[in-house]
Amino acid sequence: MDFPSTLRPSLFMAGPLGMTDGPDLSFMCSWRDALTLPGAQPQNCRDQTSSFAKNLLWEPSTPGPLPLVPPGPDPWDPGLAAQDFLFRGGHYYQYQSRVVLDVTEQLSRFLWDHGDIAFAPLGKLMLENFRLEGNRGYSKKVTIVSVKRLLQDLGGHQPWGCPWASLSRRLRRFSILGGPVLSRSVSLLMGRLLHEELATRWEQLLMDEAFTGGALAWLPGRTARAGQLVYPSGGALDKLYFQEVSVNSGGNPRVLEDPGHIQLRGPVRQVVTSTVQGETLLAVRSDYHCAVWKIDKQEPPAPLQVLQVEKGATGISLSPHLSGELAICSRSGTVCLWTPQDGLQTIYKDPETLAFRDPSPWRWADFTAHPRVLTVGDRTGVKMVDIQGPPGCGLLLFCAGAEAACQKGERVLLAQYLGQPGPASTSLHLICTQFSIYLMDERLPLVPMLKWDHGLPSAPLLARLLPPASPGYPRPLLLGGQGGQVQLLHIAGEGTSIPQLAGPPQSLPSITDSLSAFPLLEPKRQQQLQERLEAPVIGLAAAPPCASAPGLLLFQLSAAGDVFYQHLRIQQTSSLREPDHPAPERPASRAAAPPVDQGSTPSWTSRASARCSRWLEALMELSPTNPVWAAPTFSHRRFLGHMERQKSQETLAQKLQAAMAKGQLLRPGDLGTLPKAEPPPAPQCSQQDELTERLTKAWEGQAAAWWKRHQDQTSGSQRQSKRPKRRTQLSSTFSSFTSYMDSPDASSAPHSQDLSNSEACPQPPRTPPSQELTQELWAQGVQHERRQTLRDYMAKLPLQDNPGPVATPPSQTSSRQTRSFRQQTPVLSGSHPPRKKPRMGF
Amino acid sequence: MMSDFSEELTKLAGAEDNPETSEFSKTRMHFPWLQKHIEAVVTGGKKRKDFAQTTSACLSFLQEALLKHQWCRAAEYMHSYLQTLEDSDTYRKQAAPEIIWKLGSEILFYHPKSNVETFSSFADRMKNIGVLNYLKISLQHALYLLHHGMLEDANRNLSEAETWRYGEKSASQEVLIKLVQAYKGLLQHYSWSKKKMELSELDEDDYAYTAKSRNMLSQSSKTSTNICTLIKTPGVWDPFVKSYVEMLEFYGDQDGARELLTNYAYDEKFPSNPNAHVYLYEFLKREKAPRAKLISVLKILHEIVPSHSLMLEFHTLLRKSETEEHRKLGLAVLFEVLDFSGCTKNITAWKYLAKYLKQTLMESHREWVEEEWKSRRNWWPAFHFSFFWAKSDWKADAELACEKAFVAGILLGKGCRYFRYILKQDHETLKKKIKRMKKSVKKYTIVNPGVHT
Repeated sequence: MDFPSTLRPSLFMAGPLGMTDGPDLSFMCSWRDALTLPGAQPQNCRDQTSSFAKNLLWEPSTPGPLPLVPPGPDPWDPGLAAQDFLFRGGHYYQYQSRVVLDVTEQLSRFLWDHGDIAFAPLGKLMLENFRLEGNRGYSKKVTIVSVKRLLQDLGGHQPWGCPWASLSRRLRRFSILGGPVLSRSVSLLMGRLLHEELATRWEQLLMDEAFTGGALAWLPGRTARAGQLVYPSGGALDKLYFQEVSVNSGGNPRVLEDPGHIQLRGPVRQVVTSTVQGETLLAVRSDYHCAVWKIDKQEPPAPLQVLQVEKGATGISLSPHLSGELAICSRSGTVCLWTPQDGLQTIYKDPETLAFRDPSPWRWADFTAHPRVLTVGDRTGVKMVDIQGPPGCGLLLFCAGAEAACQKGERVLLAQYLGQPGPASTSLHLICTQFSIYLMDERLPLVPMLKWDHGLPSAPLLARLLPPASPGYPRPLLLGGQGGQVQLLHIAGEGTSIPQLAGPPQSLPSITDSLSAFPLLEPKRQQQLQERLEAPVIGLAAAPPCASAPGLLLFQLSAAGDVFYQHLRIQQTSSLREPDHPAPERPASRAAAPPVDQGSTPSWTSRASARCSRWLEALMELSPTNPVWAAPTFSHRRFLGHMERQKSQETLAQKLQAAMAKGQLLRPGDLGTLPKAEPPPAPQCSQQDELTERLTKAWEGQAAAWWKRHQDQTSGSQRQSKRPKRRTQLSSTFSSFTSYMDSPDASSAPHSQDLSNSEACPQPPRTPPSQELTQELWAQGVQHERRQTLRDYMAKLPLQDNPGPVATPPSQTSSRQTRSFRQQTPVLSGSHPPRKKPRMGF
Repeated sequence: MMSDFSEELTKLAGAEDNPETSEFSKTRMHFPWLQKHIEAVVTGGKKRKDFAQTTSACLSFLQEALLKHQWCRAAEYMHSYLQTLEDSDTYRKQAAPEIIWKLGSEILFYHPKSNVETFSSFADRMKNIGVLNYLKISLQHALYLLHHGMLEDANRNLSEAETWRYGEKSASQEVLIKLVQAYKGLLQHYSWSKKKMELSELDEDDYAYTAKSRNMLSQSSKTSTNICTLIKTPGVWDPFVKSYVEMLEFYGDQDGARELLTNYAYDEKFPSNPNAHVYLYEFLKREKAPRAKLISVLKILHEIVPSHSLMLEFHTLLRKSETEEHRKLGLAVLFEVLDFSGCTKNITAWKYLAKYLKQTLMESHREWVEEEWKSRRNWWPAFHFSFFWAKSDWKADAELACEKAFVAGILLGKGCRYFRYILKQDHETLKKKIKRMKKSVKKYTIVNPGVHT
């Protein structure tokens, strides 16, 4: 194999990362690679790559990826967001904001929602220390506290998670008294576990290493333009689908028949395929199992082997050289090779990390150009291990340190051998970190052949190197971040020339860019759709370009199990210079300037939009209505007020006592009193449910029918008497925002922009999240002819006794409205406005 | 009570958090996207100023435009982004020039309306904003000019940079200055080799010849001082070493060149660069060094890169050697070349192996073959001699298939599928060869007759 005859100058320094005093000679400019030195490089490699440098561009044919298959039947939960983890208060005295996990809030949520579990035993224990009525009793042996006073002090006001909450003297005393029993047992036991759990979930949010390598694979079919996509889907990602796809001449994929699937017992984390000597194998990694199948074109996949990994598998790779060989890494630091002849064989075992100590148990392994040498990687480096040599030794291929001019805190996220099965082998390895990608040649360890700062805003856990569009062209390297961002790098240089970037890297549209192709929905659905499109990307695959169809078809798999595709064409202007053309005279080469701003933006075709609408329809049919969460209302002060008014103090006290004995949390309903004064604000998420349903019906023109049905359900007589009044109120509401609808500014503003803006700040200081916003956004998208329907419908809206939403603060409006539909439900609430319900499950 | 929990937990969390955060910067993994998450959530506390917000938004737009190859749009954003130079935050202010240079140079490199003058004036301006980048920018500017064939301008630029000093000389400055000097040396070498070309066309008795050669001599001494200091620093300096050695050789300083190359190849502080050994070997070959010397150089290259294309040359050297040890190594070298997936179709290697296997077995060194075969027995058959390869090799390159079939026959016996497949083929020109092959396999195979693998 040829080795580049002249390497690019680079300084070599050993040392820890971030400590380099020397300059980083890889300048981090993509144009650096385009530079040539007179006489420093062989002629042949120069003129080829420089011709690309200017105008190499893969042009997407639609502004964003399109859904390939209809959404799966299982619902998808977007999971936890940063808001659910982090302490929202600012840190006044700290310059740099740091991560503070909000255990307190989660814990207090738990105490609210599951008070019976949290307090029952404690309540029983402390029964004799409390007096439920009258003043505090005196006893020499035990301290007795009066509940009444205590509740008065508590006053129901405890800001969520606020460590600086003010305390009264009595409360202080009580907490000292109750502390040993209450806070220690609950907070320490729960808090520690909770903190641990939150920390792992938070780390998962920052980077979900389980999906390293990606769970989407393209199996080439008999012709160049047909193949099979293999990916997991279903709510738990435990169904492995085999979807036949054929690509037509226009570059659009066609999905053939219903996909076959295999039901597995665990979530699929990684899917790899390899075709060696005409035999195609498919390997799948789950959390604790790995499995290999043999894929035959005619027959269903035949399972070859299932392996159990006790400590948890972190990586799997199939040999590009020998059919059936696969490497598996475990969290314990062991790397095993499985071969059909010899079975399982441990080739490397070291619980410690390679270059320096790092707590992560993540391990990775891949093959190299030598079939008996494997790379073994962890967060700190990558080592080449000869499986026939003495165990444990080998050369470091990559080291997170000064050798590669790594930054502080830089870690290896993915290491991939770029060789393809077959004789056209290379000895290049791709190393991805949070900051950069490195191309390493296994013949020159530790010195990167190429370094590029990718600047992706999420973890680059997916990478695919594709064959060139046509011979002589650079090879596209796709780099995918977990957040859905995709970058395409043009890698040129093979054999005697150095691998280099041919032209500046480009970014490709992400799935969220497709939002504009979907028809506008009402806000809640829109948000649902947006959340679905924003799901982390866990798989990246491509139908490689070939001579007959130089287009590139890119597939992305989201964590919701959706597959999206994007067609890319190589831009016409970038053509190969004639091979016999003399090396370009530099000043002259500038004359052939590329067209102004190559990135012409494509637009949505009607076919693409239709495809999206169909997909969306299927999604909306499936999506279930979220269970309505009842806001807890619990106000001690109010409750005490009622208590005082109660004539039969006895019964109340008995009830209290009974509740305490049973360890129940007291609810207003338990005492037979319902709070009448100012109901607590309800959470945002529940406000829309009935409203949504109503609006949907109205949109479909069935508002009247719905309303009638609704009326039948509720006892209508009382409401009916109020209706005329309501109508007048509503029309005034309506008139207040018709100005929005007619204002050309508002309607011309892109709605999606608005929506995302409104969501960018989860708790805007002005709190506009309810009706006003909903209506405004909605109204913007409403067509003229629909407006009358809207007006008619609005007139029928069964809002009641609020004196006009314009005057009321929005948050109150919404809460009132929800309350009116939920009067029967016993509700508990903190007096603080609850936001989105944290989705931590208990 | 609740707040007591809070206190307790904040303490608890704090206790676990604090060492983490202090360690965070040192040993923990760093997430560049962490800040974004925090900013999306934390509402109170110290907020970023409007200025910082707009600048960072502008930066992200700028980067996006660059990644979409919208150079004109990027240039517009850059125009606005320059405000960051007036940031009151010292850290950002310091980091700004580097970012501006990095992105700005990229825009100007690709922008359709940009030209060398624009780029140069931008570079000159950037050099003096944030003095710390002076050397880096000068160097890149010079490389840019070189790329556009403006050697004199580049040379002037490098000369200016060479004499530049700022404050205390840091290690990074020192290396950069060395690098600047080395590039200057490279430029001088370039003009020197141009003159050498002209000189070779002139007559030796010509007056112009002496003048020119004197001129060259002075240039070479400059070059040597320029390049020499850099290539003592650990690193990969292929272009510099190559041109420096060329000069030294031209002026007959063989010892100097040898010392330089030996140092470049064998210094432990340097990365194990295969080219260093290749250069040394090529130099020694030109010098007509003894075979033992050549073998010793290639032996080390063999240890670093067993798949190197020079290994076939190494084999021929070893084959001709008198010592038995070398001849044994000659066999191992061939086997190791063919271990690599990139070399499986290398017909020369297969030819050599077929020939050498036969020779070795004829010299009754069967144990050498068996030793090499031992570690490959369980994977070479599937890797090289599968039925799939038999078919596809025959289709693609019948000659290669024949060589491979012979090796397969020797190593696996005549029952081997690859061998049998090729044997069955009917081919006009190769008929004789295949027949001969069958005979030799029968005679020399290391597999006991009757035992099939």
